Amino acid sequence: MTFTRAKISNTMTAMPASKTLTPYIWVKTEGKSRPATENLVPGNRVYGEKILVKKKTEYRTWDPFRSKLAAAIMNGLGTFPFENTAKILYLGVSTGTTASHISDIIGPSGVMFGVEHASRVARDFMDRVASRRANVIPIMQDARKPSEYFAIFGKVDIIYADIAQPDQTKIAIANCKMFLKKKGFLFLVIKTRSIDVIKNPENVIREETAKLRDGFDILESINLEPYDKDHAMVVARYNEKTVSR
Amino acid sequence: MSSSYCALLTELGVIITRGDDHAVEQTFAFSEPVSDYLSIKSGNTPKSCANMKSYLESLNSTISTGDEALLGILKNESIDGHILEGQAAEDARSVKQRLMISAGLASDSNDAMTKLREFAIGLSSTRVTKISGSADLHVIQAVNSLDEVDKVANALSSRMKEWYGLHFPELENVVDSIEGYARIVLTGRRSDLTAESFEKAGFQSQKTEMLLVAASKSRGGEISDKSLEMVQSMAEQMISFYNLRRGLEEMIENEMGKIAPNLSVILGTSLSARMLARIGSMKRMATLPASTIQVIGAERALFRSLKTGSDPPKHGLLFQHPLVHAAPRWQRGKIARAIAAKAVIAVRVDVYNEDGKLNNTLFEKLNIRIGEINAKFQEPAESNTPHDSHKRDGNTRQEKAGRPQSRKKNKTTGTYREQRDYGGGSRYRGNTRKSAGGERGGERRRPEWIHKRTKASKPAIVDRYNKKRKEYGHGDDHGNYNYGNNFDGSNYGRSYDDRHNDRNSNGKPSPYNDKNKSGVKKNKKKKNPDLTRAKNRAGTHNKKKKRKNRY
Repeated sequence: MTFTRAKISNTMTAMPASKTLTPYIWVKTEGKSRPATENLVPGNRVYGEKILVKKKTEYRTWDPFRSKLAAAIMNGLGTFPFENTAKILYLGVSTGTTASHISDIIGPSGVMFGVEHASRVARDFMDRVASRRANVIPIMQDARKPSEYFAIFGKVDIIYADIAQPDQTKIAIANCKMFLKKKGFLFLVIKTRSIDVIKNPENVIREETAKLRDGFDILESINLEPYDKDHAMVVARYNEKTVSR
Repeated sequence: MSSSYCALLTELGVIITRGDDHAVEQTFAFSEPVSDYLSIKSGNTPKSCANMKSYLESLNSTISTGDEALLGILKNESIDGHILEGQAAEDARSVKQRLMISAGLASDSNDAMTKLREFAIGLSSTRVTKISGSADLHVIQAVNSLDEVDKVANALSSRMKEWYGLHFPELENVVDSIEGYARIVLTGRRSDLTAESFEKAGFQSQKTEMLLVAASKSRGGEISDKSLEMVQSMAEQMISFYNLRRGLEEMIENEMGKIAPNLSVILGTSLSARMLARIGSMKRMATLPASTIQVIGAERALFRSLKTGSDPPKHGLLFQHPLVHAAPRWQRGKIARAIAAKAVIAVRVDVYNEDGKLNNTLFEKLNIRIGEINAKFQEPAESNTPHDSHKRDGNTRQEKAGRPQSRKKNKTTGTYREQRDYGGGSRYRGNTRKSAGGERGGERRRPEWIHKRTKASKPAIVDRYNKKRKEYGHGDDHGNYNYGNNFDGSNYGRSYDDRHNDRNSNGKPSPYNDKNKSGVKKNKKKKNPDLTRAKNRAGTHNKKKKRKNRY
């Protein structure tokens, strides 16, 4: 497989000055401001998103109602280490909505390992994303067993974990210990309803964040409402062996 | 250990390295990466690695390896080996890509990445294909189709009856089955109907006479050729729906007998198929506890019970089981529990027992248990004290289990509240209480504790709301109390350092900040006894605190 696309950094200079330098642009669709990423596979649509062309580059709009990363961006995510050439481990890619945008952002010289256990959604992920995007490596494996992962090599810059399991934080930490480099980022989507339906979401988030205290610096915690109810995204930085605040 | 050898399983082949810096000694490249890799993982040596054994033997030293399955193969070949741990394992992982290149499995890092990706896609596809072929997924599709066919057929059949009813309104009252109705429609106008055509449609002579009389005296109007054609094609559809339905039922029956013979005996084929459809797969079902199986299908009641402390449901889908269904109301919970316990054993046998044969002991034991329940609980409990089923049980299991705190004495009646095993379905406590009272012929009065609970819980919320309004003004411009970006209104995490100094716009500390939390707690010191009970019942130690945006 050959990589033919120009580097994304070209587009970064073309970004509006008002926004910080991020690997996505802001566009207006249906009267609302939305992030959009440059399409890695021009003409390819992953989940029915809008495609628009600006200065001969094709962009895919990023729906915050479908993707929690986009929702976090809409709600003022400040840390955005996703960049060209980044190496990412994505736990729980599902059908690949968010994954496709990350794949856009990291570009042809980045790598994204997408872990998914459920065969039904993995099927969609393979059809829509993994087979079309050369920087995506699908790993159909249970995220609980990171030592069983195949096709992964070295350490990654970012782990993005979006797993609907009661022990999701534990799973994410286990993966970080094995695959995240020091000072690497963890993006943890906390689905409070998957962890405990009867507890208060706020308590669940507090407890789950506390689990990260040991070994991570917590940078941000973002409520994803109104895009996702009872969800939060926690951004943390791996800080092996140093006890954070 | 500079001369130690290491066998590393990569996606493209097995690499034998030497020393701590992993110098490549020998490579056994896979000819078919995906299948060779899988065969190693399942403990077999693939053809392309046939020489590996003799090579490793010639080394005559212990081999360390990073993979459990590879270690198993080595042990089978009686080669001394041990697993890499900790830092060593991490080192081996980190040099994987470099090794693949220097071992000649890939030409450069780009090539390695491309090959890895091809491998990953191949292996993932194999897994998807394998799982998609499993029989239980097909049964689940059949069960769901059955439900949908019923839905569509019902909707369409009432339309057909309405339409043909314009022409022959009396037919609907005489013919019960939709299929029979459709067959009559297919013969044509009511003037075309003869005794023969009724017989053909599967009616007995008695009914045929009635139908003939009805046809001759019908109050219906004329029907045009075009309309009749449409109704008839609808009737054809109905009949094919019914054939499809029969086919589906047959298939479910057969398949369940094959994939879950033991479960089918305990639950019956259709219920076990339904259970399977609800849970998702046989494997998943085998991992569930019996208590979950017992309430599958009653999730709403279960979560309501966990949230509010009302009684938990006794049965979900299991209510369809003839033994539960036919049992007197006060026995149903016990019977459902007994069935669930046996069903979960049965499904584990079906999943993990290779020969998949039927074993009747489980069913016999279940029958014995149900006999016991029948004998022991012939009468409903004396129910002025509906909460003491443990007393009727004649044991003190709850106390033995070491959670006496879960049994709070009711101050007014002096009785203990426990999970009761009677009362209809998954209804509210109030309702069950009512019906139990009705049966005894007693007066239908709500016991005092119910009154107390409903009264106590609501004002507490309202009070807190009003108090907060007084203390913190009227929220932001939109009347929201979400000052920060988080659920709790704090800026927790986002401005982590400043969190404790965070102030609202009116200069008062946020009520949800950690530092000020003690203040909130104080207000909650007066515990609602019912909520405490609910907490104990649910086995969690969360604070019962309603979410803010519910106000």
